[in-house]
Amino acid sequence: MSRINDVGGMTGFPAIVEEPDEPRFHEDWEAHVFALNGALIKRGIYNLDEFRDAQERLPVAEFLGSSYYERWFAAITTLLAEKGVLAREETAP
Amino acid sequence: MTRAAFAPGTRVRTRAADRDGHSRLPRYARGATGTVVEVAGHHPLADDRARGLDVAPQPVYHVRFRAADLFGAGEHTVTVELWHDHLEGPA
Amino acid sequence: MSGEHHSSDISARVRRVEALLEERGLLGPGEIDQRIDEFAAGGTPANGARVVARAWVDPGFRARLLDDANAVLPEVGLSMAGGLQEQRLKVVANTDDVHNVLVCTLCSCYPIALLGPSPSWYKSEAYRSRVVRDPRSVLAEFGVTVPPDTGIAVWDASAESRYMVLPRRPAGTDDLDEAELTALVTRRGLIGTALV
Repeated sequence: MSRINDVGGMTGFPAIVEEPDEPRFHEDWEAHVFALNGALIKRGIYNLDEFRDAQERLPVAEFLGSSYYERWFAAITTLLAEKGVLAREETAP
Repeated sequence: MTRAAFAPGTRVRTRAADRDGHSRLPRYARGATGTVVEVAGHHPLADDRARGLDVAPQPVYHVRFRAADLFGAGEHTVTVELWHDHLEGPA
Repeated sequence: MSGEHHSSDISARVRRVEALLEERGLLGPGEIDQRIDEFAAGGTPANGARVVARAWVDPGFRARLLDDANAVLPEVGLSMAGGLQEQRLKVVANTDDVHNVLVCTLCSCYPIALLGPSPSWYKSEAYRSRVVRDPRSVLAEFGVTVPPDTGIAVWDASAESRYMVLPRRPAGTDDLDEAELTALVTRRGLIGTALV
């Protein structure tokens, strides 16, 4: 079934906005999420396709209401719970 | 490689089925006819890897579509990278 | 929602997850900081600019680049191996007949190992949804006017290859050396939302 990530050809999103002099990361935690994902994939906890799948499985409203790296972190915590690494309560807000 | 690769120039049709779960066949390119422009190596199907399956590599292709064949309008082309299993060709 | 509060909240959760994973032996001490440092020292658009400038001054390099980019990157001291795994790079050249523009409609695939992280607009639904369907108007918003008789080729990075655009060498640059040419090339030029 088509998922919320699959937007090619859709209409209705806001205007394209270019941020001048955009930094590599806007917040320190984003760099941590980026690095954490790489470390977990390298360790074989999950693979890149499972990671993409976990983002796509987020509830649509949460997906659209989240920033790029918030989606990453939500996918990471989802997979850590599903793989039995960390319980949901341990990663919950 | 057990499966013969489609050679560049081959007309292929993408699967129309809307499979449950993760897929790297974009919705806009489903059920569409295009042309293989290049074989881009061999890789396990991402759709299967996302399901935790350990599968054999298969050919991956750059497949070029006319925008008009995807969207009903447009003069440009769109080249999508697709796995062999995404294709039903030759069309 | 308070942005600041929200940010400190998620920041604390990320730290907690890192600490728990370290406790369980799934992350080494300092591993995350090391990865962040390595990434910061890794890919940048300047790498792409070097490749482009070399292709402009060396027709043989250009031909080999378009044929097998991975094989020629070492000639300029670069590779696609800096990420999770070495990825195939496909370089597509702008010509009189075609202007190329890149997207990943399904997520945000981009040659990070070579060029560093992609800009936010590249990852936005706004760009990803529209550029496959109506590239000419998207390019116009970026200030790029493609002549009517020049075709547009959109490349959707939907699988394992990563792409980079080889822009056309601007007119009037015959006197410039390779380093000066390198300075002309922008990240948007490497994606196709600028002419250079």
